[in-house]
Amino acid sequence: MVQIAFDANLYSADHLKKAAYKFIDKFSFQVAKKGPELVCDLELNPNIGNDAEDYYINQFKKEVLDQELRDKLKKETEAVRNLILAHTFSKTGLISDE
Amino acid sequence: MLKLQANTTAHNSALENDVLLTLSKNSNMPHVLREKMAYFLADEENIPKGFSAYLTYSEDVFKAASRLSNLFLLPADLSYLAEGDIVRIATNGKVHSLFRKNSNHNTMLLTERCNHYCLMCSQPPKEVNDDWLMDEALELMELIPRETQNIGFSGGEPTLYGDRFIELIQKAKLFLPNTAIDVLSNGRAFKDVSFVKKLASINHSDLVLGIPIYSDDPERHNFIVQSQNAFDETIQGIINLKKYRQKVEIRVVLHKQSIDRLPNLCEYITRNLVFVDHVALMGLEMTGFTRANLDQLWIDPIEYKDTLSEAVAILNAYGIRNSVYNHQLCVINEDVRSNYVKSISDWKNEYVKECDGCTQRNSCGGFFSSSKQYRYSDHITPYS
Amino acid sequence: MSKFQTVDFYKSVNKDYKLLPFRFTELEDNSYILTNIAGEYHVVERETLEKLIRHQLSSGNKDYLDLRSKQFLTDQNTSVAHELLAIKLRTRYSVLPEFTGLHMFVVTLRCEHSCPYCQVSRQSDDKLAYDMSVETASNSVDLALRSPSRAIKIEFQGGEPLLNFDIVKYIVIEANKRKQDKEVSFVIATNLALLTDEVLEFCKENNVQISTSLDGPQELHNKNRPKPEGNSYQAAVSGIKRVKAILGKDNVSALMTTTFDSLSKPEEIIDEYLKQGLGGIFLRPLSPYGWAIKTKTYTKYNVDMWHEFYVKGLEYVIELNRQGIKFKEYYTSTILTKVFTHNSPGYVDLMSPAGIGIAAVIYNYDGTVYPSDEARMLAEMGDKYFDIGNVNKNTYEEIWLNPKLLDAIEDSFAYSVPMCNECAFEDYCGAEPVFHWGMQKDIVGRKPESEWCQRNMKIFKYIFKRMEGDPFVKKLFREWGQVDA
Repeated sequence: MVQIAFDANLYSADHLKKAAYKFIDKFSFQVAKKGPELVCDLELNPNIGNDAEDYYINQFKKEVLDQELRDKLKKETEAVRNLILAHTFSKTGLISDE
Repeated sequence: MLKLQANTTAHNSALENDVLLTLSKNSNMPHVLREKMAYFLADEENIPKGFSAYLTYSEDVFKAASRLSNLFLLPADLSYLAEGDIVRIATNGKVHSLFRKNSNHNTMLLTERCNHYCLMCSQPPKEVNDDWLMDEALELMELIPRETQNIGFSGGEPTLYGDRFIELIQKAKLFLPNTAIDVLSNGRAFKDVSFVKKLASINHSDLVLGIPIYSDDPERHNFIVQSQNAFDETIQGIINLKKYRQKVEIRVVLHKQSIDRLPNLCEYITRNLVFVDHVALMGLEMTGFTRANLDQLWIDPIEYKDTLSEAVAILNAYGIRNSVYNHQLCVINEDVRSNYVKSISDWKNEYVKECDGCTQRNSCGGFFSSSKQYRYSDHITPYS
Repeated sequence: MSKFQTVDFYKSVNKDYKLLPFRFTELEDNSYILTNIAGEYHVVERETLEKLIRHQLSSGNKDYLDLRSKQFLTDQNTSVAHELLAIKLRTRYSVLPEFTGLHMFVVTLRCEHSCPYCQVSRQSDDKLAYDMSVETASNSVDLALRSPSRAIKIEFQGGEPLLNFDIVKYIVIEANKRKQDKEVSFVIATNLALLTDEVLEFCKENNVQISTSLDGPQELHNKNRPKPEGNSYQAAVSGIKRVKAILGKDNVSALMTTTFDSLSKPEEIIDEYLKQGLGGIFLRPLSPYGWAIKTKTYTKYNVDMWHEFYVKGLEYVIELNRQGIKFKEYYTSTILTKVFTHNSPGYVDLMSPAGIGIAAVIYNYDGTVYPSDEARMLAEMGDKYFDIGNVNKNTYEEIWLNPKLLDAIEDSFAYSVPMCNECAFEDYCGAEPVFHWGMQKDIVGRKPESEWCQRNMKIFKYIFKRMEGDPFVKKLFREWGQVDA
């Protein structure tokens, strides 16, 4: 079992869960808040060899970063994105006028 | 070069006001039409009555017909006047050609007032009340033949007239519906959308605003036209005109102050004003303020021929129609020829002694008389 | 004359300037490319970039005038930048509401070639199993015409469409009957082996264009595209001649596909295109779908090898132009349209929001609707993620409002995802959700690990580096960037 702690000020449980989900075939995952940290318990699936453990942990950390950034950006750019997509569908008759 | 106005050599004018008259040689002109016309007198026999003025170039005829009132002896300078032309005869006998039937382009001066003070202005501004020029232009709309293909309005700055300018364009549409109009303007008045709307609502079928931009660098443009905020307001004006679907031509006079960034300006046009209808790249004329500012303005065209090629290539790549005016064939590169326009307006072009023996004279526009007189390229070379 | 002011009178006192929105990416050592919010670019040295951002750039700096003119900064000498940028941004997005313009119809899966890299075909005579039916065709035509586009293009694909020419004819006739005031154009993507006079005559009468495959000179082409009992190259080449003669030069085009064997022969392939009188070539990489992966032809070459091929090919094309031969490379010119104009080149793969569904759609022989050709290929490989409906069972609303489609478009939106959000090339690139789903099982894709990103990044950098300092190439590329040039 591997334990990784993340700064709860920088990451949310959602980020960790979304990242962990991508590795659901590689390890099981539990997260708990302990003080200022989110602590993750990762248990490698039996079919994954121990020499691969470092590799998947690494990938997991990268994925957490990915998820956090995606979330942040998606929120920040929501207004622009919605404007453009609304504009795209504006002549299709598929969106209702409000 | 044609002199557009001259004093009559002698006259017995009884005119109370300046008049606009169309010239005629037709002794059988219907009487009802003669009041708005002046008649060319060839001899003193059988003088048709009822014309508002009589014109002759012959001193003998003048003496013989001197009992006629409103008889004017014209100098040889005005010998180009022809039937169908429209002239103003002033009470003091001065004759001014306003419209020449045989010209392929007639431009009317609307005012000498201007809110710019361009370093190279060919019509230096005067602070005078010359509203009467607008009155005259409005009257001309009724006199100019309906089949005239095109006319131009210039100044000074025509849009200073505000609503009267709109009135003029409207009148042109009503009386000359098939005549194309080009207006020379700095375009700033069109930053006001309501003014543009008024122009647009006339719905003229063929109106072009010719608007100068001299640089993509606002500071330089403002310096050349000697007015703060000129660049911004001009750009704004063009954007508004285009929003309301008016035709716009961008005009650039090429000289030392504008030539360095000419390719940058053309790129600026392709990025921001790609919808303009035409770009005119024009050689420097040696009239008006140009001579006073020559040290700041003069650059031999041979020195900028590659820059000109680059500029034209940029516009051509984007399919933006453009023309090169007022240059000689021997000072431009071959690759600019397809955009080269021969004609300086027909009353201005001449050739110099360096042109002797040139085989391409017929394709070349030659020189402004003013250029011939004061300054032209040191590299004029005849083609053999 | 003392009445005239000097140039200094019109320069403002050296006050600060304001930055306008822009992104930057390193081009090479010490050189950065900047792109403004309207996708216009300028290249500067690193030092200039730093000064610019730290508000330390002096108005006398050689780049200052250009940066202001190109709307990377603005100062108190001008205030038109914002409005101009807004107009240009609107123009860049103005084509989006036209919505789906490209409608691909897979009229049959049957094919008489057996190209190793092929995504989809079946060597079979079973028409019932693999041909599009009249009912499916009719429903597909209705859906295509439902698009708000004023002009749509119908592209016939397969398999080999000429094996089901009856349905091709039906679709052309029905589309023309039902189109009302829409403009509809047609193109058949065919290997030309089955070209007959009847086909040519129909195409001529109905303004149908032809697109064919030409992978290079005979040996290469036939190796890539084996035709049992035949010579694919001969068929293609004589087909091209016939089409030109009957339909005209403008109505025939060719596409190449790159395989491992192509990589060493860029000039030869281009020469073959010159020989056939074609006006340009589209240097396309091998896409990772279909038989390609099954037969391992994809894994054989990677980003670097393909880039080398692309560069050799592009340089050869540039050289041809230097000699006065007008010939274009179309992937480059597609990108250049986005660089030099605010028009859309209409190329689905380089769009954000992604062109899936909203720019292109494909109606499969069995009525299944996929939002792109790549999505169809993925389905043939067993991944039906992008199956968004069926023409015989679902309405227009159900298909185009399918949450899978909408989520994919929204989630992959390049401006909203890491790395793309800050990339100077984002305006020239595309979102590509299908590729990333196929490769990483992720609609967004981790761009540093993405061959799509790496490949395009190399191309962008190459294009811009090439233009700096070579006026001939810059002039040529500017011309290439014009739509309909």
